[in-house]
Amino acid sequence: MKNKTENASFGLKVYLFRKKSKNIIQSVFLFCIIVGLCFTILYPIIQLIPSIFSNIEDLGNPNVIWLPMEFSMTSFKAAIRFSMPEGFMTIVKSVLYAGLIMGIQVFVSAMAGYSLARVKFFGHKFVFFLVILVFLVPRQSLLLAQYIYYSHFNAFGLLKFFTESGEINLINQPATLFMIAILGFGVQQSLFVFIFSQFFKNIPNELEEASLIDGCGFHKTYFKIMIPNALPAISTVAVLSFVWNYGDTYFTSYFNKDGPYFSSSLARVFSPANKQFVLGAVKVWFDVPLATDFAFDAIKQAAVLIFLIPLLLVYFGAQKWLVENLENSGLVG
Amino acid sequence: MRNIFPFKYKTKRKLNGFLYVLPFLIGFLLCFALPLMNTVMYSFHTVRVNDTGGMKFAYSGLKNYMDLFQNEVTTTAQPMVRLFINQNLSILTNVPLIVIFSLFMALLANLKFKGRGIVRVIYFLPIIFGLEVVTDMLAITTGGEWVKESSGLFSESYISSLLMHYTSIPNSILLPVISYVDKIFDVLSQSGVQTLIYLAGLQSINPSLYEVAKIEGATGYETFWKVTIPSIMHITLFVTIYTVVDMFLKSPISEEAYSFAFEQSKIGTGSALSVIYILNVLLVLGVVLLVLRKVVKKYEK
Repeated sequence: MKNKTENASFGLKVYLFRKKSKNIIQSVFLFCIIVGLCFTILYPIIQLIPSIFSNIEDLGNPNVIWLPMEFSMTSFKAAIRFSMPEGFMTIVKSVLYAGLIMGIQVFVSAMAGYSLARVKFFGHKFVFFLVILVFLVPRQSLLLAQYIYYSHFNAFGLLKFFTESGEINLINQPATLFMIAILGFGVQQSLFVFIFSQFFKNIPNELEEASLIDGCGFHKTYFKIMIPNALPAISTVAVLSFVWNYGDTYFTSYFNKDGPYFSSSLARVFSPANKQFVLGAVKVWFDVPLATDFAFDAIKQAAVLIFLIPLLLVYFGAQKWLVENLENSGLVG
Repeated sequence: MRNIFPFKYKTKRKLNGFLYVLPFLIGFLLCFALPLMNTVMYSFHTVRVNDTGGMKFAYSGLKNYMDLFQNEVTTTAQPMVRLFINQNLSILTNVPLIVIFSLFMALLANLKFKGRGIVRVIYFLPIIFGLEVVTDMLAITTGGEWVKESSGLFSESYISSLLMHYTSIPNSILLPVISYVDKIFDVLSQSGVQTLIYLAGLQSINPSLYEVAKIEGATGYETFWKVTIPSIMHITLFVTIYTVVDMFLKSPISEEAYSFAFEQSKIGTGSALSVIYILNVLLVLGVVLLVLRKVVKKYEK
């Protein structure tokens, strides 16, 4: 009898030990994969560190691998001077523009998405098809016609009642970007409409019925009941919209070239054609006779790090929302 | 709100709903339909810009299309057909990789472990790194020896040479695998949005399904194939469409269209390229959807 219980407890011990070791091996394996993937994603940023913090003259030195020989902020100073013509205000203005357009985009696409998902008006399926069609056609393919069209914008000929020539030039005006966003054609906006409509489809009908019985009209139901419930979708779309608008070089550089957009000013200053100019300026400003191509890369990369700061702040701010609230978000169709 | 208009509730609701999509519809006509029609029209005309500023059109039939594929070359001096073939091949091979990989990332991010908030933020970083400005700026123009491209890491590593020389796996299997692993950064950098979408999908699966599976005694492997995969199959459809469109957006074809229109001022030829481009996207999507429909149907049974 005694022998038997001893055996059983021994068996239990073996079982527990095996289970525990299996768990440990599994979690070590998972840990390796997760950390490995994080490293792969961060690698391009990590490998910039030696070059951007080096002295400009040390760049290209084969002896410097991971740690800069002499710590220096010259690349950053140069990057700031090149890419931010208005100093710190360039970033602030750029963020404000992106934020404003983000607000418009979220507002307009949420409305359209709600209507497409919940209201069965005549032709709602056709409109939904149009949303998908817009998403499918690459925007670059319409660039040329859009450019020509906006430079002689006449709004179906309606403008002849307001202006003499019957058309206005919308190119290089900040208003154009806002107009496009209000009309639902900003950066990836049809995708946002789609996400919202998929989300609203998942909200139970009972909510709407209850608010109707309580005496809410259509608009009140939407703003008081639906919008608060849609916060997960709103936060997802808002983050995507902000990131894409802040980093947009397409609309900004074609339709408002001289606007205070950090992204398009970066793309302009650090285009390959501008290389000799940048290097020449660096030589004069910082009194370094030996600015090579490596210096151009280092300054460029320092500039992109500055560019990323607001985005990273938004990410860390929105992290909790993205992580927690997505748990109830339904992109499920 | 008083009833100003004597409409029935349902009619009013429909009108209000229409009001909500009205901006989009106006935008569709102004920003999409008209430019699309113009693009098609330009592609059949020889377009010249007058000295006075207006434009002159002369109908030329299919000449622009013929020129595009017979006379014109890309900015890197390749024939246009080559560009399209390369692009389509790269899309057809990369899309499955990206879709499967982003599902894998989402599964990892969905696990419960300490510090997953930070891990998720890092996993969503590719959305930022995928921005055109950022990829352009991070690209190294000088090609110095001291900065290695991360995309060549694995094929130069000890593991791959160990696999090649000391195992008996035939090279014909090993080499493609190694080249795929090498591409991991490319794949990673294009899978941020897809991971986000998959993660949302994974989290919207009803937890009671997993409970039932557990009670029925299903193993983790069975649960994954019988519960998780069928529940996210329709998201896969959406993710695939997104990936295809996104890859086309970032393709060199769009740069060619830009160069025709703004640098060489051949508006007609550029428009012809755009039309072919749109048709190509729709064709590839058609093929992909045809294949996917079958897979999805199998799972929805």
